Amino acid sequence: MYKIRLHEFEGPLDLLLFFLRRDELDIYDIPISKITKEFMDYLHLIEKLDLEVAGDFILMAATLMQIKVKMLLPKEIDEKGEEIDPRADLVRALIEYKRYKEMSEEMSFMESGMRKYNYRGNFEEDAKQAPNDYEVLLKNITIYDLIKAFKNALLDRPAEPVHQIKKWNVSIDDQINYINSKLKDNNHVSFLELMIEMREKIRIVVTFIAMLEMVKAGTIGLRESINLNDFVIYGIANG
Amino acid sequence: MDNIYNSVIEALVFASDDPITPVEIINAIKALDGLDIEITEEDIENTVDELNAKYDQNGNAFTILKIAHGYVHATKPDHAKYVGYLSSEKTKRRLSQAALETLAIIAYKQPLTKPELESIRGVNSDYTLNTLLEKNLITIQGRAETVGRPLLYITTDEFLKYFGLRAVSDLPKPREIEEIMKDEDFLEQKRRIMMSGIEEKAEEEEIQSEHEQNNELEPEEEIENENTTE
Repeated sequence: MYKIRLHEFEGPLDLLLFFLRRDELDIYDIPISKITKEFMDYLHLIEKLDLEVAGDFILMAATLMQIKVKMLLPKEIDEKGEEIDPRADLVRALIEYKRYKEMSEEMSFMESGMRKYNYRGNFEEDAKQAPNDYEVLLKNITIYDLIKAFKNALLDRPAEPVHQIKKWNVSIDDQINYINSKLKDNNHVSFLELMIEMREKIRIVVTFIAMLEMVKAGTIGLRESINLNDFVIYGIANG
Repeated sequence: MDNIYNSVIEALVFASDDPITPVEIINAIKALDGLDIEITEEDIENTVDELNAKYDQNGNAFTILKIAHGYVHATKPDHAKYVGYLSSEKTKRRLSQAALETLAIIAYKQPLTKPELESIRGVNSDYTLNTLLEKNLITIQGRAETVGRPLLYITTDEFLKYFGLRAVSDLPKPREIEEIMKDEDFLEQKRRIMMSGIEEKAEEEEIQSEHEQNNELEPEEEIENENTTE
C-alpha cells in the first residue's frame, strides 16, 4: 500500500551501528542474540508498515542467524590454533563502514561551509516559489505522521452512496402482451407461475398493474387457486 | 614576477567560469608576453593571498577560493543569505546521507568498482551512483581488469569544488580503527557543536533543533505510536 524508503538508516550496517551505539555495546563482543532480535523486530516493523524490505536487510538477517548458530557450535580453529570468532567478519565490516560514515559526516560540515560561498554566474532562471530544503518542507513531521494521516483519510471516508438510475425497458403494454402470450396455450396461468421468471421488482410491479388493467378491461378474470397464497388468471375470449 | 601581473592574474581568475589552474594562468601570460617571463605557481599563490588580503581590507564582498586545483572568485559567507535567495535552485539542494557516504568511500578508495562500494556500504548503490554521476560529482574512469570488467568510479573536480578542496589529498584522513574505538562519541559531540554553530539564521536553527529531536526518536517509540492508533 505504501512504498517508501526508510531514510533513517542507510542500510543494515547503519542499523546495527545504531543498536550498538544506543545500547553502548562493545563492538568486539557483540551480543549476537540480542542484536539479531532487535534487527528482526525492525524488519517486522518495516513489513508491518508495508514498506519495501530491501534485499540487503534480509541478507543481513540471514548472516546474523548464521553467526548465532555458529556461536552455539564448537569454535573452529585457524592454522595458528586460535579460535575463530564467527563474528569477526561482521565486526570488520561494521568498523570499515563506520570509518566512512564518520567521513561522510565530516564532509557534511564541509558541504555546509561551502554552501555559504557563491560563485559567479549562479543566477539561473528558475522557479523561486518552491522552497526545497527538506527541513523546511517537512517541518517537525515524520514519515509515520504522513502514513497515519493518509491511512486515516482513507479509512474514515464514509462509503458514498451510489444512486444508479437504470432504465427498465418494461411497460404496462409489454406486460399485457406478456400475460396474453402466457394465456395463449392453456387459457389459464397461476399468478406465481407468471411471476416465476421475473427477477426485478419493477417488472413484477408493472406486470401486476398490467394484470389489473386487463381485469378492468374485462379481457381476463381471476379466480381462487388450490394454493391459498396464489390465484389463477384466466382469459376471457373476446372480452 | 613583475607586479603588473597581479591584476592580470586577478582578471584571469575573475573571467574564468571554473576554477582556473596556475598552469593555465602561466600559459596565458607566457603565450602573450614571451616564454622567458619569470613566473611560477608559487608567485600566483602569493598574488592570490595578496589579493585576498586586499579584498578583506577594503571590505569587499568576495574572495578568491583555492579549490579544485585552481582559483575562483566567490562571494563571502556573510552574504550567503541574500545571494542564496537569487541563486539557482539546484545549488541549494544538499546531498543525502547515502550520497555523502558513497562519496566518502569513493574519494578515499578511488578508483573503485560498484561491488567494492556495495560491500563496504552493505547496501545496493545503483540509485546513489546515478545521482552522483548526474551531479557530476563522480565519473567513470574506465573498467577494472577483474572478472566482469566492472566500471571504475572516481571523483571529479566538481566534487573538489563542492567540498572546497584543492585536491583529494586535502580530505581529512579517515580515523584508524583503534582511534574510533577509543573515542566513540567524539564525532557525535562534534556534530552537535558544529550544527548549532553553523546555522546563523534563527529560523534555521529552530528547524535544525526540531529536526534533531526527530532524529533522536527511537524506532521502538514509533512502533508504539503506530500501534496505538490502530
